[in-house]
Amino acid sequence: MLPLLSIAVFLPLLGALILMMLPHKTARLAHGISIATTGLTFLVTLAIWARGIEPGGFAQVEEISWIPAIGAAYRLGIDGLSLPLILLTSLLFLLSSIYSARVSERPAVYVVLMLMLETASIGTFAALDALLFYVFFEVSLVSMYFMIIGWGYEDRQRAGLMFFLYTLLGSLPLLLAILGMFLGSDPYTFDMRTWIDTPPLSGLAAMLAMIAMVFTFAVKIPSFPVHTWLPAAHVQAPTVGSVILAGVMLKFGTYGLVRFALQMTPEAFRDAGLVILAFGVFSALYGAFVALAQSDLKKLIAYTSVNHMGYVVIGVAVASLTLDPGLRAVALDGATLQMVSHGLVTGALFFLVGMLQDRAHTRGMDEFGGLLKVVPMLGWAFVISAFASLGLPGLAHFPAEFQIFLATLSIQPWAIVAILAIVVTAGLYLRAISRVFMGETNEKWLKMPDLDRRELMVVVPLLILIVLVGVAPSWLLDMIHTTMAALKF
Amino acid sequence: MNLITLVLLAPLLAAILILPLRRWPEAIALAGIGISFAAALGLLAAGFSGTTSQVILPGLPEMPLRLVATPLTSVLSALVATVAAFVLLYAVGYMGKDNEKPRFFTTMLLFVTAMQTLVLAGDWITLLAAWELIGFSSYLLIGFWYGREGVAGAATRAFIYTRSADLGLYIGIFVLIAAAGTTEISVTLNVTGPAAIIAGLLLLIAAIGKSAQVPLYDWLQRAMAGPTPVSALLHSATLVAAGAILLIRTAPMLPPQALLAVGLVGGITAVVTGLIALGERDLKRMLAASTSSQYGLMLVAVGAGVPMAALLHLIAHAAIKSSLFLGAGVFQHDRDSTAMEDMAGAGRARPRIFAGFAISALALAGIPPLSGFFSKDAIIAAALTTPWLAALALVGTVLTGAYMARALHILWAGKPRATSSAGVVWMGAGIAVLVVLAIILGAGFPALEQLLEVELPVSYLAMALGLAAAASGLALGWFVPAAQLLGPVRPWALRGFAIAGGFDGLVLRPAMAIARVCERLERVLYNGVLAIGQSNLELGFITRKSDEQGIDAMIFGLVRRTIAAGDRVRLLQSGLIHRELALTVIGTAIITVVLIAAPMYF
Repeated sequence: MLPLLSIAVFLPLLGALILMMLPHKTARLAHGISIATTGLTFLVTLAIWARGIEPGGFAQVEEISWIPAIGAAYRLGIDGLSLPLILLTSLLFLLSSIYSARVSERPAVYVVLMLMLETASIGTFAALDALLFYVFFEVSLVSMYFMIIGWGYEDRQRAGLMFFLYTLLGSLPLLLAILGMFLGSDPYTFDMRTWIDTPPLSGLAAMLAMIAMVFTFAVKIPSFPVHTWLPAAHVQAPTVGSVILAGVMLKFGTYGLVRFALQMTPEAFRDAGLVILAFGVFSALYGAFVALAQSDLKKLIAYTSVNHMGYVVIGVAVASLTLDPGLRAVALDGATLQMVSHGLVTGALFFLVGMLQDRAHTRGMDEFGGLLKVVPMLGWAFVISAFASLGLPGLAHFPAEFQIFLATLSIQPWAIVAILAIVVTAGLYLRAISRVFMGETNEKWLKMPDLDRRELMVVVPLLILIVLVGVAPSWLLDMIHTTMAALKF
Repeated sequence: MNLITLVLLAPLLAAILILPLRRWPEAIALAGIGISFAAALGLLAAGFSGTTSQVILPGLPEMPLRLVATPLTSVLSALVATVAAFVLLYAVGYMGKDNEKPRFFTTMLLFVTAMQTLVLAGDWITLLAAWELIGFSSYLLIGFWYGREGVAGAATRAFIYTRSADLGLYIGIFVLIAAAGTTEISVTLNVTGPAAIIAGLLLLIAAIGKSAQVPLYDWLQRAMAGPTPVSALLHSATLVAAGAILLIRTAPMLPPQALLAVGLVGGITAVVTGLIALGERDLKRMLAASTSSQYGLMLVAVGAGVPMAALLHLIAHAAIKSSLFLGAGVFQHDRDSTAMEDMAGAGRARPRIFAGFAISALALAGIPPLSGFFSKDAIIAAALTTPWLAALALVGTVLTGAYMARALHILWAGKPRATSSAGVVWMGAGIAVLVVLAIILGAGFPALEQLLEVELPVSYLAMALGLAAAASGLALGWFVPAAQLLGPVRPWALRGFAIAGGFDGLVLRPAMAIARVCERLERVLYNGVLAIGQSNLELGFITRKSDEQGIDAMIFGLVRRTIAAGDRVRLLQSGLIHRELALTVIGTAIITVVLIAAPMYF
């Protein structure tokens, strides 16, 4: 049996090393290696998917002892929570490298950073060892920081400072919690499976560890009030940076929320469930309303992420607040599917806004108008993605949000107020569509070219998946449900 | 192949086929809708022979999607298919010169598919999905001419209004699923108690939005921005009908409290929007207001506990209203306007179209033996059990006669102008069939009652009251100018009875205000974090300074002093032998003394 998981994790790094060692790093070569590596990685993750998962535990586990004295080992494995996210990650990186084939500014460094980021991202989702998880989790920040600083827009220095500040301070509590759980485990181990099966901490220690972890992941998710790095980073990051940030790195937060906070300190999570739920509800509403006030397209989409991730927090929180296994599975199915849907939809939206910005060098929605007539393909792709984002049935967000809200109403009826946000997001997207794509065409953009082949190759797969997840979610949901119905916490 | 799947797949596949081909959109669309129409009639026939069928598709875990053909759903499906087929036939002529035809027919077919899914839905998720997709495709259709002024706003408004009301459907469905433990509609209808009241009221909110009832009615009049076939389709058997269909289907579950609310909303809407229609200065907008008013009457029937009467009126109204809209579309083509003042005499120029329009108008008013007479009679008979409901229904009927007669008067009285004939054959054919249906459908009602196993009470009092109301309404509308009829309420009617700024004042502006407050809070947060960052940097600078001037200075000072001390010590190392020897002797002496003295201090 080939260790496919390890291959998927380290193949991008290998690509980066090969590129670094080559003598003449032309842009063509760099992007060629980038596309080939991410493409191969995508195929490997498909093979991992084909091997499948098992109910009630982790599948395809790979283990090599590393520091046996402290129970740290190289451990990888997947379940129905991590596998969909790994698939999403490898797909978004492949599309990102196709999209960035046009980057001509220091292309080799750019590609190396991106490939390192992919290794870190897949590693974060696949790690079954807390120390390993932490390493991957932290390393991802470095690449992203340099991507923002090096290839971002006008105000990237400040955005970089913000991003660095948050992530630096944000991760420390997680490290403390990990150390705490390590010290609480007997015998000492960093094996996440052991921590899930027999939570190492209890009482006050568990509560403190839970708070520390929730803080770290709330920064990442991001949840109100520690979300302010997100719009700054998103607006200034290059398009691919935004896509990866929203599509993949925000999921570190929600993944960690389930894998660590919920599964390793279940009692404490349940005790604090109402507070977490309240933060989720407030985040969802707040993100939607702030997005409504934006006129910068990228910022608008960035804030809808706060809204959509708020739903995930709601789903996880209500799952902790019930003992009914059926409802619990509904809530967690919805939360997990929401992570994938958000990656697909927001990825598509950021790509499209990036394409618009490449052409017009502006993102202010008032500077456009009537573009549907000039660039119909870009316009319709945006319309479909926008409607997906506002939760239209038949598109990716609907099944996820339906399940989250259904569980919410059954478990904590008051929290259903968060559903108001679906009207607000409808309003803000329709406003954006009518300003940018409808009405009279602005003379300035009459010569704007429509999507070319490369851009279609990036957008069309995402649109197809958005429809597939929306119309027949069972191909994805069945896998998620297998794990969630038997999730231990 | 199951007929249900055929009903849905034929228009869907046609829609998918038109987009890439971009050729013969009319032919493909008509083929798709034709097959769907035939299949829907097949379903209806199967319903008459007593068979029901069901399709189950995988959906969410443990919540499969269901499509069911019961007598009720197959009747509705046949209705939708009929109206859609003839509206599309008309559209072939109407859209003749438009170069965006493929997009038009694709969206129309998507719309029809969504509507068919809604009426055939057997579980709440399918129904909700179809419900929202109808909203989406009507957004696309209303916004079809998106480049024109005001169109984007109209489309956006239609979607936002209905989506706001859809929250009622979402939460209502969640309440029902939580109470019944399943998503199957037929099972959830057994829910009773507080859950049924709450769910019933929530479903009513959803229906208010979709069927353009008080207070969410003004989007429908603005929705006239789309092409005429779109209006004809949206206003008759589809979009707007969804609200009434929802209530008709869930009527068995609705407890008395919810029924009371339904009747109240319907009765008020019938009167209020009837007045708006009477004061309206635009033919299509008048027809739109009339649609709200007629759906108000249907809600009255549901509220009175006789959903069958509502169903009959829904069916009659579908044929009547679509033919009225299509007729209005022909006049619009002739005059390039829909304003009443430009319409003067448009009917006289096209006597045959006008005849069709007039017959439909009389049918809507409720003149026997046209279909509207029977359905309206059923509604009034149902409402008679509750006097105030009956009063509202009768006022609504008078108003119907009045505004229709007024429109007929305007169309007939003015001077005819020359007309062109491009595309009129297709349009005429579509109208003719629908008008014939508007005439004869009443004859089919007894068969329907039999199929659905409902017997409507026959009330001669209701018949007399209804006829008197219709006749007096028609007479008033024909002979008395609308301004006099409305009297003091006219300024209100012209403003559309907007209270406190209507939707804009009550929802839109507060929402934007909240958004601005959040945005300000966001700035504060952002600047706060940035300030923390800056202060950290400041702290860094201070630390550096204190390092440089404090610790560094101390250490360097120490180093300097050490070196200085070294310098002084170096003076001792002179290299002169006699001096070194002397120092050695002194040192040795000190050590010797110390060693000798050692026992004294140990």
